[in-house]
Amino acid sequence: MRDPYEVLGVSRDASDEEISKAYRRLAKKYHPDLNNGDDYSTKKMSEINNAYESIKNGTPFGGGYQQAYNSGYTGSGSFNFETVRKYIAVGQYIQALNILGNMRDRTAEWYYFSAVAHAGIGNRIMAVNHAQMAVNMDPSNDEYKRVLDLLQNRGRTYQQRSQTFGSFEDIGTMCVRFALLNMFCCWCC
Amino acid sequence: MFGYVAANREKLNEDQEKYYKACYCGLCRTLGKEHGAKSRITLNYDMTFLVLILSSVYNIKVVEKGQERCVAHPLDKHDYWYNDITKYASDMNILLTYFNFLDDWEDDWSLLALGEAKVYHKEFEKVEKKYPEKTKLIRGKLKELSLIEKRGETNPDIPAESFGEILGEVFAYKKDEHESKLRDFGKALGKFIYIMDAVMDFKEDLNKERYNPLITVPSNMFKDILNILMADCTEVYESLNIVKDKELIENILYSGVWMKYEFKKAKEKEKNHERSL
Repeated sequence: MRDPYEVLGVSRDASDEEISKAYRRLAKKYHPDLNNGDDYSTKKMSEINNAYESIKNGTPFGGGYQQAYNSGYTGSGSFNFETVRKYIAVGQYIQALNILGNMRDRTAEWYYFSAVAHAGIGNRIMAVNHAQMAVNMDPSNDEYKRVLDLLQNRGRTYQQRSQTFGSFEDIGTMCVRFALLNMFCCWCC
Repeated sequence: MFGYVAANREKLNEDQEKYYKACYCGLCRTLGKEHGAKSRITLNYDMTFLVLILSSVYNIKVVEKGQERCVAHPLDKHDYWYNDITKYASDMNILLTYFNFLDDWEDDWSLLALGEAKVYHKEFEKVEKKYPEKTKLIRGKLKELSLIEKRGETNPDIPAESFGEILGEVFAYKKDEHESKLRDFGKALGKFIYIMDAVMDFKEDLNKERYNPLITVPSNMFKDILNILMADCTEVYESLNIVKDKELIENILYSGVWMKYEFKKAKEKEKNHERSL
């Protein structure tokens, strides 16, 4: 992994604000949504994201996840996935995230453990995002797929029920009608 | 707030639509009566939903209904209804509006926002006196949220949680046996609203180099994420065992909350279609 400061083009003593500014400028330039989702921009964006997150979580100098969670962890990062697995097994998800936060290389396995630990503390969004990353990086791993599926299943059940209320295919014409309606209605919508 | 929690009126029958509109108009009327005519412009459908769900949980019937002409549509007489919950929702509306304007002032130093906040200051003080604990908690949580956003938090669950707690406080109407479930429900709904807003503003935030909690999340996952958050919300909802106005409430939770999202998507599709022609 390249030096995260170099990736963002900021000096090592840059302030938080300068780092965020540099990151957002690069995100505007490379975000796949603004570049028709081409491969180069996707790769570039993921590099920028990793750099930004590792600086924010203090990874380049050790530290880790405690910024966000104020836990007492002070380790130096010499742990491995076995330790992470042990913490997860006993429900100590924040400790698991701290160790993960100290690892520089984000492999499919890293994303998998991160997803499980985030799910454990109820971080739904991080959990499903990282589970998807793990599957994208290693599509052949059934365990990663199982975890992603488990997380997405709740949403699917909701979505099925939601579809019984009808689709939104005709929403264009619907909204014209609403707009007309609203001319006579309170200050709504 | 944002107006995402509204009904899909296409799927309501005539009676439901009339009742729903009358609930909105009752709230609008109460806001005017309690807090002055100016406060009425701040109203949106999210607070109407609050009236519906609390009236259902506490089984409070319509206490007063009638017909009137109002400033918004002077030509037609229309129905309204209200009860004690309507009053509570109008107080909460003032609280959130006031803090919202103050926040805009701090963010952009917008004089307009400061002016607006001043207009609501007296009304805000009245509400603060009535609900000192709620006001204190919401103020604290908004401060917390603003710091989270300022530090550029990349974990979207953290600001969503913080916003959720604000809505949880608003939905926890009274300290009684319903409090904890209503708080959980409001919190889950709040998380959805916060993330929905981030989804809707995503491209604009990117372009303007502003904070967006989803910036490190690939956008093809947004819909899945929103579905999961609504699954959490409807799970708590089911535990409330709602009977009164069940169909209307479920229209909102399973369909209406997607209206703005689907409309935006349809508009973007149309735009892309035109461009490709």
